[in-house]
Amino acid sequence: MESTGVTSAPPPADAEVHRRLVYGDESALAEVYTAYGGLVRRVAVRVTRSPVAAEDVAQEVFAHLWSRPYTFDARRGSLRTWLSVLAHRRAVDWVRSEARHRKDAGADDSALQAIPDAGPGPDETVVDRERSLLLHSALAELPQPQREVVHLAYFAGRTYRQAAVELGIPEGTAKTRLRSALRSLAETLADPPDPALERGA
Amino acid sequence: MTDDEHEAVRDLLAAWAFGALDPAEEETLAPHLAECESCAAQAARLRETVRLLDGPEPSAPAGRNNGALSLALRARPTGPRVAAHAAPYAAAVAGLKALLPELEGRWTTPVVHDWDAHATVAHLLAADEHLAGELGVDARVPPSRIEEGTHWEDAWNRRSADVIAHEHGRTPEETVADWAAQADALLATAQAHDPELAARAVTLMGMRLPVADHFLVRGFETWIHTDDLGRALGLAVPPPPPEHLERLVRLAVRVLGLALGPTAPPVLFSVTGDEEWVLGSADEPVQAELTLDPYDFCLLVGGRYAPETVPRGQNGDAAAVRNVLERAASLSWL
Repeated sequence: MESTGVTSAPPPADAEVHRRLVYGDESALAEVYTAYGGLVRRVAVRVTRSPVAAEDVAQEVFAHLWSRPYTFDARRGSLRTWLSVLAHRRAVDWVRSEARHRKDAGADDSALQAIPDAGPGPDETVVDRERSLLLHSALAELPQPQREVVHLAYFAGRTYRQAAVELGIPEGTAKTRLRSALRSLAETLADPPDPALERGA
Repeated sequence: MTDDEHEAVRDLLAAWAFGALDPAEEETLAPHLAECESCAAQAARLRETVRLLDGPEPSAPAGRNNGALSLALRARPTGPRVAAHAAPYAAAVAGLKALLPELEGRWTTPVVHDWDAHATVAHLLAADEHLAGELGVDARVPPSRIEEGTHWEDAWNRRSADVIAHEHGRTPEETVADWAAQADALLATAQAHDPELAARAVTLMGMRLPVADHFLVRGFETWIHTDDLGRALGLAVPPPPPEHLERLVRLAVRVLGLALGPTAPPVLFSVTGDEEWVLGSADEPVQAELTLDPYDFCLLVGGRYAPETVPRGQNGDAAAVRNVLERAASLSWL
């Protein structure tokens, strides 16, 4: 049979999940939560150091996906990476706003230290805690191509080769992006701390 | 040690620091780092950066929380459960509601015909009104003065134009609220839940069909205009769920068969993944075969594809195929 034109390509798994989310299929939301809930909370707890806050961040992340499904575009990247990046950004925002809140409330000593169950634990100094937040803020600001590889390699536990496959990029490119990303992060620490962050802005 | 060797090692150090090397690759690094101070120093610096990102192991792993999706379900409550015949409309309504937040600040974007985004939703408010009225749901816009005996298509177009003009005097939020309230009311009717009640035939848009099929037509039109809105915003609106698409296809094939009439040159028509139908005369041998993707067929019937450009497989008499495609594109339901 003679054929004219190109018929729509078969949808990959993320596109199918997105379709069900758009059309209000609640079971798709539950499936996404089962698949990525752990990752989202892992990312959030790394940044906030607080299981309670991480739970709140996860709630927000899945509420955002469900109520604004069009903010995810399967043509631009995987759902896994998108959720991981969103969780990370929300978690950084949470720590910043918590710090600002504490300062506004007049707590004069280290704002971060005052966050219940998110302050430095016995294994962590205040300086380390502040440097960690500095790093996570810088990570949230990395160019998207670098950020995606870092999320897959670091938070989602992929090798750089697996990350390359998932992103559809050459292995060498994944490796180079990790290298540029980590170099920028290391440089953040070498620079004097950002005064805006010090203020908790 | 050569420069190349150092470079090869340094190339891997970031991936190594992130724990993103294959075990085999990781093993190749160890001997070099044991011997080369400068590479080892850089490795230590990168590892320290990652260690700071890590922080201490979380003291308590986040527990499984059964209410983990409660915020999501408050932010966007799930739609009503309805009978299978109304499910495509319910899904299309949910799909448009999901797109609406993206229209914030972009309500004057041109969409289709001479409508902007606001007018497109106003048109759906008008288009749903006919079935709503039939099912006893009150109209939300003052009635138009349309004389008795006006052809349905004229009456339909004038009502749409009147409602759009009326809604342009209000805010998009008010129009959306009225559209959503009317859609919700339609989905709350007994006819949306009871297939027996929905079996009663009524004439709407010049078509005498069971109420169940009119619900399907509402779903079809809502989806097509949501797709229009998505295109205008540069967002890809997904095709309806496969089981809904199948229902839309079958209804469209039936309407297309009626429109072609009993004397058209017969064409064996099939939709990928679904059954086959002979369209046109039953008394002559089939003159051509035509295959369309279900999504493309729906877009064609919805007037979103020109007959000559719709992707298809065909063989046999080209004129017979063209006749089917042109008739499908001119059904002008929407």
